[in-house]
Amino acid sequence: MSQVYRLSNGGRIDRSSVLNFTFNGQSYQGYAGDTLAAALLANGVDIVGRSFKYSRPRGIIAAGCEEPNAILQIGASEATQVPNVRATQQALYAGLVATSTNGWPSVNTDVMGILGKVGGKLMPPGFYYKTFMYPQSFWMTYEKYIRKAAGLGRAPLENDPDSYDYMSHHCDVLIVGAGPAGLAAALAAGRSGARVILADEQEEFGGSLLDSRESLDGKPAADWVAAVVAELKGMPEVLLLPRATVNGYHDHNFLTIHERLADHLGDRAPIGQVRQRMHRVRAKRVVLATGTHERPLVYGNNDVPGNMLAGAVSTYVRRYGVAPGRKLVLSTNNDHAYRVALDWHDAGLKVVAVADARHNPRGSLVEEARAKGIRILTSSAVIESRGSKHVTAARVAAIDVQAHAVTSPGEWLDCDLVATSGGYSPVVHLASHLGGKPIWRDDILGFVPGEAPQKRVCVGGINGVFGLADALADGFEGGVRAASEAGFKAVEGLLPKVLARQEEATLGLFQVPHDRNTARAPKQFVDQQNDVTAAAIELATREGFESVEHVKRYTALGFGTDQGKLGNINGLAIAARSMGITIPEMGTTMFRPNYTPVTFGAVAGRHCGHLFEPVRFTALHAWHVKNGAQFEDVGQWKRPWYFPKGAEDIHAAVARECQAVRDSVGLLDASTLGKIDIQGPDAREFLNRIYTNAWTKLDVGKARYGLMCKEDGMVFDDGVTACLADNHFLMTTTTGGAARVLQWLEIYQQTEWPDLKVYFTSVTDHWATLTLSGPNSRKLLGEVTDIDLDKDAFPFMSWKEGLVGGVPARVFRISFTGELSYEVNIQANYAMGVLEKIAEVGKQYNLTPYGTETMHVLRAEKGFIIVGQDTDGSMTPDDLNMGWCVGRTKPFSWIGWRGMNREDCVRDNRKQLVGLKPVDPSKWLPEGAQLVFDPKQPIPMDMVGHVTSSYAANSLGYSFALAVVKGGLKRMGERVFSPQADGSVIEAEICASVFFDPKGDRQNI
Amino acid sequence: MSAINVYQQRPGNDAHAESPLHHADLPSLVGKGRKNAGVTLREKAFLGHLTLRGDGRDPAFAGAVFKALGLELPVALTVVANDEMSLQWLGPDEWLLIVPGGQELSVEQKLREALGDLHIQIVNVSGGQTLLQLTGPNVREVLMKSTSYDVHPNNFPVGKAVGTVFAKSQLVIRRTGEDTWELLIRRSFSDYWWLWLQDASAEFGLSIEA
Repeated sequence: MSQVYRLSNGGRIDRSSVLNFTFNGQSYQGYAGDTLAAALLANGVDIVGRSFKYSRPRGIIAAGCEEPNAILQIGASEATQVPNVRATQQALYAGLVATSTNGWPSVNTDVMGILGKVGGKLMPPGFYYKTFMYPQSFWMTYEKYIRKAAGLGRAPLENDPDSYDYMSHHCDVLIVGAGPAGLAAALAAGRSGARVILADEQEEFGGSLLDSRESLDGKPAADWVAAVVAELKGMPEVLLLPRATVNGYHDHNFLTIHERLADHLGDRAPIGQVRQRMHRVRAKRVVLATGTHERPLVYGNNDVPGNMLAGAVSTYVRRYGVAPGRKLVLSTNNDHAYRVALDWHDAGLKVVAVADARHNPRGSLVEEARAKGIRILTSSAVIESRGSKHVTAARVAAIDVQAHAVTSPGEWLDCDLVATSGGYSPVVHLASHLGGKPIWRDDILGFVPGEAPQKRVCVGGINGVFGLADALADGFEGGVRAASEAGFKAVEGLLPKVLARQEEATLGLFQVPHDRNTARAPKQFVDQQNDVTAAAIELATREGFESVEHVKRYTALGFGTDQGKLGNINGLAIAARSMGITIPEMGTTMFRPNYTPVTFGAVAGRHCGHLFEPVRFTALHAWHVKNGAQFEDVGQWKRPWYFPKGAEDIHAAVARECQAVRDSVGLLDASTLGKIDIQGPDAREFLNRIYTNAWTKLDVGKARYGLMCKEDGMVFDDGVTACLADNHFLMTTTTGGAARVLQWLEIYQQTEWPDLKVYFTSVTDHWATLTLSGPNSRKLLGEVTDIDLDKDAFPFMSWKEGLVGGVPARVFRISFTGELSYEVNIQANYAMGVLEKIAEVGKQYNLTPYGTETMHVLRAEKGFIIVGQDTDGSMTPDDLNMGWCVGRTKPFSWIGWRGMNREDCVRDNRKQLVGLKPVDPSKWLPEGAQLVFDPKQPIPMDMVGHVTSSYAANSLGYSFALAVVKGGLKRMGERVFSPQADGSVIEAEICASVFFDPKGDRQNI
Repeated sequence: MSAINVYQQRPGNDAHAESPLHHADLPSLVGKGRKNAGVTLREKAFLGHLTLRGDGRDPAFAGAVFKALGLELPVALTVVANDEMSLQWLGPDEWLLIVPGGQELSVEQKLREALGDLHIQIVNVSGGQTLLQLTGPNVREVLMKSTSYDVHPNNFPVGKAVGTVFAKSQLVIRRTGEDTWELLIRRSFSDYWWLWLQDASAEFGLSIEA
C-alpha cells in the first residue's frame, strides 16, 4: 500500500525526498515536510490507538497540538524511546519508528475492545472512584492493570544518548506564535530595534497562512510569510525559534520555551548537537499570538476514525497534499469551515453535502460553495456517524438548536470523511497560567484572556480577532505597543492587502441533539483522550457535581496529556445546558503549565550524569587517588574515606589506619575545613560575641577551640581559631558549615554590630591543610621544617610559621585525634609538592594516610563531637557536657547566652551527651538507634535518647558509642537498652564520653 | 608584634606548583580541538589575587588605593585595569586585585603602607582561585547556557564584572574585550567548571590555549 490518499500535487512537501518509516511494525513511505500524522493519513492508516476506557478504535482528528488520539510511542531503539508524542507535531524523518501507546495487544484486535463494548454500560463516569475505591488496599493492584490497558506510553529502560540543555534569554519582546498576528507583531517590534524572540511550535513559521486560501498583496499567503521571515532573519536582535513551544508563563514575565532542535532530524540528534533546549526567557513585554483551536461538534459516534476537524482536513489537503478520504460531509455552525468544502472540491474530490446548523447562511464562503454546486443542507447537522473501523456514512438531520431537538428523521449519506466545525476557541492557556480568569464573549462564542497584571499584549485569534486582515492589523499594533512600552520607538509599516470577506456569525451549537436522549443516543464524545461523553457530563451534573472543577475531576474531562484542548468548551456548554445556566455562569477551568508535554530530558538539561551536582576537590586529590583512597561525599566535597591496602575492607583498613596514628604517625587532608581570615581592631571583641567562650586573653601565637550557637542557645558550629596578630585571626569551621558561618559573621557585623571594625574573607580554598597526627609526627615534621618543634618552644594550642618542604607554611599544633598533631597550612598551589616530600620522608615512620572514617573513630574515642552528627540543632553546650566552653562572665551578651538560659534549656532531664559501652563488647549499636530504660515496657515505649555515633570494637578492644540520654550525665554506670527491629535488645552501660587518654597526656607531649 | 600578620606565602620559583586546573593537563590539549573553534579557553594560572576590603565612600581610602596602585577604585559591577594589574568591584566594601604572580606580597605591603591605619582588610587568596579566559564568537552562547544573568552586550559591556549563579554554583564573569571574557573560579570547583565548559562548548567546538 503506497500513499493512496496522497494528492497528485500540492502541499509544502518535497516529493523528491521519500522517507521510509514504520508504524506498529508495518513499513510506510512519506515525504520530507510531512508530519507523522500526515504520512499516516496519506497511507490510509485509520486506527492509531484504542481509547482509554472503552477501548474504541481511534483515528487522527486534528493537525496540531490539540490532537487527542494520535499519541504515539516513538523510538527506533530502547534508549531513544519517547512516550506520548503527538503524531501531528512530529516531523517525519527517515527511519522513524512509531507504535501505538494504547491498544493491547494490538490496535486492530483489542482484548479490551470486547470488554469495553460489553462493559460499557457498567462503566459510568467516576468508574475508578466508584468501583475500585474499596477496599483501599486493592488500589495498587487494580492500577497496574488499568495502566497497562489504558496505555500511557512507557519510559525508556536505557539512558537517553542525547543531550539537552538550557539557555537563558532577556528580551524586550517575546512573541508567542508565528501566525499572521505573531508575524505582524514581530515585524513591528523587530523594526524598532528591540530584542525580540519569536517562538512557534510548528516546523515552520506561518501558522494558518501555510494552508490559507487567502492571498496577501495578490500573492499566495505563504509568499508573504517567506518575505517576513527573511526580513526578520536580517535583524541582528531578533531570535527566531521554530519548533519551539512556549510552555509556561510564570511570574514576572518569565517564560519557558521547549525547543526541539533535532527531533525532526532522526531517532538521535546528530553527533555534537543538542536534541532539545529549554529556553528560559525574561521578557519585558510578551505578545501572545497563540491563535485559536477549532472546536469539534459533539454528535453520536463522533470518535469513529474518519471524523475530523474541518480545519485539520484543509491543512492536510493544502499543506501536506493528503486527502484523508474520498467523499466528504461537512457539519458546521460557521462560515469559516466552508474552506474545507472548497479545498476538497478544488482537489477534485467529492463533497457529499454541507450540513449547516444555521437557518439561512449567506456569507461569502457559503455563496462560493453554492456557486460550485455543493449541496448545502441548512438548519441541519450530522447527528451521528456510522462505521466500525472507519466512517461509512453520516446521518444528517434537521435540528432545532433552541429546543435541543432533532426535527426530521434525516438521511444517511454515504461518505468516508466527516469534517466538523463548532467554532473557534481562543488559545488562552498561557494567558491563564498565572491565574488570569478568561472572559466569555458571546459574539465569538469563546473565552478570551481577562485582565491580568502581567506586562503582556494579546493579539489576533486569542483576542477574538478572527478575520485575517484584522488579525494582521491587531498583531502589528500589538508589536508596536509592546516595543514602545519596552522603550523602543516603533517604525511605521504597511500591512499587506487582504480581500475583505463578509462572514456571518457563528451559531451557538456544541452538542448536537439526537433523536434519542443523550444517555441513550450513540456515544457522543467530548474528550476523546479520556473517553468522556456528553452523557457522562450530564450524569455528573445530575449527581450534584455542579462546579466546573468538580465536573472536571469526576469525569476526568481535560485530564489527558492534551489538557482537553478540544473538549473543554464543549464540556462546559453541555454542563451548563444540563443545569439550565449559561456558559459564563458555569465558568471555566484554569490551565497550568505545561501547554504541551515536555520531556524529562529538557527539564533536566545538562544537570545530569557527571554534571548533576558540583563536586569539590582539594588540591591534594590526585595524590589520594594515586594512593587508592575510597571517597566519601561530605557536602559537595570528595574526601578520602579510607585507604584500603590490597584486599582490605573498610573495617580492616580503618583498624590499620587507627593503629598507625596511635602508634606512629598518620596523615589527613583537612583542607575542606572552612577557613576565614578575620582582620580589624575589633576582631577580638567580635569573637567574644560570636563564640560562647572568651577570647579577650588569647595571645598572639595561640589558638583556641570555640563553640558557636544560634540565638536559641543551640550549638551550630565549632572549630579552632588562632590569633595571628593583634588584629588578625584565622577561624576554622566545620567542612559543611564554612559558607553559612561566613554568612553568619557578615550578617551580625552588618546588621547588629556595624560599629565593630572587622572584616572577613574566606580562605578555605587558598590554604591546603595537611594534618600529621601521632607520636612520631614531631620527628617526621622535624625532618622537613625549619620550625623549632621543641615542646616548650611550640606547645599545644599554638602556631608557628616557617618553611615546610621548602615552602612557606603556617603550622598549627592542634589535635582532633588526641595525639600529638600538627596541621600544616600551605598555599594550595604548592601543597602537592610539600605532600610528596612529607610522604617520602614519612616512609621510615610508616606514615599512613587516613580518611574521614578513621578520623571519626579517633575523635570519638576522645569524645570530640562532630557538629551535625552528635548535635542536631537542639543541643546546648551544657547538653554536650561542654559547659567549660561557655564564658558565663563575659560582659557583652553574646549570641546564645539568653537562649541557653531559658527555663527549658536548664532542665535536669534534658538529653545529654554521654558514652555508651555495650555490655557485650562485640555488639555494635546502630547509629540513630532509640534508647529506653525499660525494655520490657509495652509499645509505644518511653524513648529516652538515641545513639549519635557508634564504632565497632577496635583499638579500645570493645565497641563504643556516643549517645544522648535524658539526664544522662547523672546516670553514669546505669544501663540503657536499645530494642532492635529484629526483636533483639542491645544493653549498654552509660559512661563518660571520653574513652581514650582522658587526661589528654598524649596530645600535650 | 604588628597588628596584622603579613606573610610571604609564595616559595621560590623552583618549588613545584599546581594550578587549580593542573589535573586537566591543558598544555597537552593545545591544538587538539576543532579548527575554527567557537570557544577558546586558557587558564591564566599563578596570578597574585588579593581581596581588599575597606570603606569605598571614604575619600582617604580611595585616594590611598589610587596612590598605591595607580588605579581608581572601580564602581559597582566594573573592573578597571592597566597593563600590570586589574581591580574589580566585588561588593560595596570589597574589591579583588589581581597582580602578576609573585607580586602579591609587595603589592600588599605597598597598599598597607598607603592605607596607613585605616580600617581595612587585605587577604592573599592566590591559591584559592584562578582565572579562565574564554574567547571566540560563541562564548556568549556558552554563557547563556550557564547563567541566568543577561550577558547581551547592551547589558554587559566591556569592563563589566558580576558575581552570579553559573550552572549549579557561583563564579565571577568579567568581560575584558569584545569577544573576550574571564571567569573567576574557586579552586575546589575548578573540575566542575572544566567539565561544564567542555560540555557547554561542545556544539561550537572548544580549543585550548596555553
